[in-house]
Amino acid sequence: MTDLARSGSRTSDPADRPKIVRLHPFGLDGARTGPISLATALLLLAAWFLATHFRLVPPLFLPTPQEVATQFLAVVEDGYAGATLWEHLSASLFRIFSAAVIAASLGIPLGLAMGLNRWAKGVFDTPIEFYWPLPPLAYLPLMIIWLGIGEVSKIVLLTLAMFAPVCLSAQAGVRSLPIERVNAALSLGAGRWQLFRTIVLPSALPEILTGLRIGIGVGWSTLVAAELIAATRGIGFMIMSASHFLATDVVFVGIGIIAAFAFAFSYGMRLLEAWLVPWKGKS
Amino acid sequence: MLQVRNASVFFSARDGRVVHALDRASLDIDANSIVVALGASGCGKSTLLNAIAGFLPLSEGSITLDGQPVASPGADRGVVFQKDTLLPWSSVADNVALGLRFAGVPGRERRERAEELLGLVGLESFADAFPHELSGGMRQRVGIARALATDPKILLMDEPFGALDSLTREQMQELLIDVWARTGKRIFFITHSIEEALFLGTTVVVMSPRPGRIVAHFDVDFVRRFAAERDVRAILSAPEFADLYDEIRSLVHRPQAEAESRRMVLQ
Ligand SMILES: Nc1ncnc2c1ncn2[C@@H]1O[C@H](COP(=O)(O)OP(=O)(O)O)[C@@H](O)[C@H]1O
Ligand SMILES: [Mg+2]
Repeated sequence: MTDLARSGSRTSDPADRPKIVRLHPFGLDGARTGPISLATALLLLAAWFLATHFRLVPPLFLPTPQEVATQFLAVVEDGYAGATLWEHLSASLFRIFSAAVIAASLGIPLGLAMGLNRWAKGVFDTPIEFYWPLPPLAYLPLMIIWLGIGEVSKIVLLTLAMFAPVCLSAQAGVRSLPIERVNAALSLGAGRWQLFRTIVLPSALPEILTGLRIGIGVGWSTLVAAELIAATRGIGFMIMSASHFLATDVVFVGIGIIAAFAFAFSYGMRLLEAWLVPWKGKS
Repeated sequence: MLQVRNASVFFSARDGRVVHALDRASLDIDANSIVVALGASGCGKSTLLNAIAGFLPLSEGSITLDGQPVASPGADRGVVFQKDTLLPWSSVADNVALGLRFAGVPGRERRERAEELLGLVGLESFADAFPHELSGGMRQRVGIARALATDPKILLMDEPFGALDSLTREQMQELLIDVWARTGKRIFFITHSIEEALFLGTTVVVMSPRPGRIVAHFDVDFVRRFAAERDVRAILSAPEFADLYDEIRSLVHRPQAEAESRRMVLQ
């Protein structure tokens, strides 16, 4: 009787909770890395501070953190090169977003088609495999010659850079579909469209989201190249322009802003993944 | 009635040789019967089932269901796989109702039917759970409920309990007999366990490998006896059960034994 009472109170008393355990994960499977990353960031910041404080590096090459912070505030207040920080930022974000939307709306359907259809695969495989390893800077001159120096050439350049990872991952998503799952759906009476809609698409979704995440990352890294094209606005332009005047502190401000946004996007994509494909790795 | 007539299947192996996976198999599956195909691994059981399901065309022969030739997969033949094929992103109820969704049944009705079927397999309280929250045996029960949802003419089951522990397996066998007794579905069931074949089948067909062939038919009545008396021990300890077990056991092992002895002579 007393035993029962005691064991009953054990689960209800929060101070005396049983030890909760779970399976040893393989790899990182949700392990907390936040504190480690934060410590690394602080360490790097400290190294930067010390290196500049003791003049280990000439200030022209590496400005002090304080200078960069001051310059950041100055750019926020007064803008840079005839435009406010917000104008630079929105110009860059607009290009990245437009390119991402175009790359996704072409790359996902085409990638799925290439995973499913012999003709789609046959026709598009060669051009995509041919162009995607090229560095965007290599075909940048062609973009300028063909499309001029306006927004179009910049967005096309970014789109080309983002398209390949999205398209290839959608293909991989279709390929990862187990045949038993298809057969199960067919023997439940699925039509072609139903099979695509309820089986193929959700099965490929995790890979598609990974592709989008990689694509947006590639987009940010191509941004500076895109804004080399006679831009007067944009974070990439700001960095390039500052480098001409050896304004290293402004270069740092620009890099910091790109890094912050790329990080935020990547994080947002991960949240989207957790929301859209909560079953990932669980079946 | 499901009729398989002289069904042969040839595959090409990776090295280009021809594999004779099924050799002139003939089989009838009548209303209210459970036909169990029994044989060692690699004797063409899955090949036969895949052909009946319509996943695999025959090299020769024919399969008809109620007079209609079988050419492609369809909702008139429900399939339960060894590996569970539930959709990880759908709840248990949605998984069960998948075939109804394909058939255009409205959501309300789908849900009612799914709950009814989950009741039949004893999972009524798991309608809103997700597959990864269930044990292997429970997932197989969901698979059975899903295959029954479209009210197929026949249930095809490819070693559905092969991956389960023996205790769960016994429960599942009894559950399947209950489902069969209540729905009157005909069932084609594959196993490599002689005991399971004798316990579940109204007919047991024994297959032998290379080429995959049906070598014997047995009409058995233990399953009807179980459905009426529900006494497992009486059945397992019946002398007829042990006799049939031994007879089938020697049949299953014979072709291999012959092959072995031939090889020994050659050496
Ligand atoms: N797709 C395939 N290609 C080539 N050979 C196959 C294929 N599927 C099955 N086989 C061969 O056919 C034979 C029968 O296989 P299967 O029907 O799966 O046997 P069981 O289900 O009885 O274990 C085996 O020898 C197997 O290797
Ligand atoms: Mg098999």
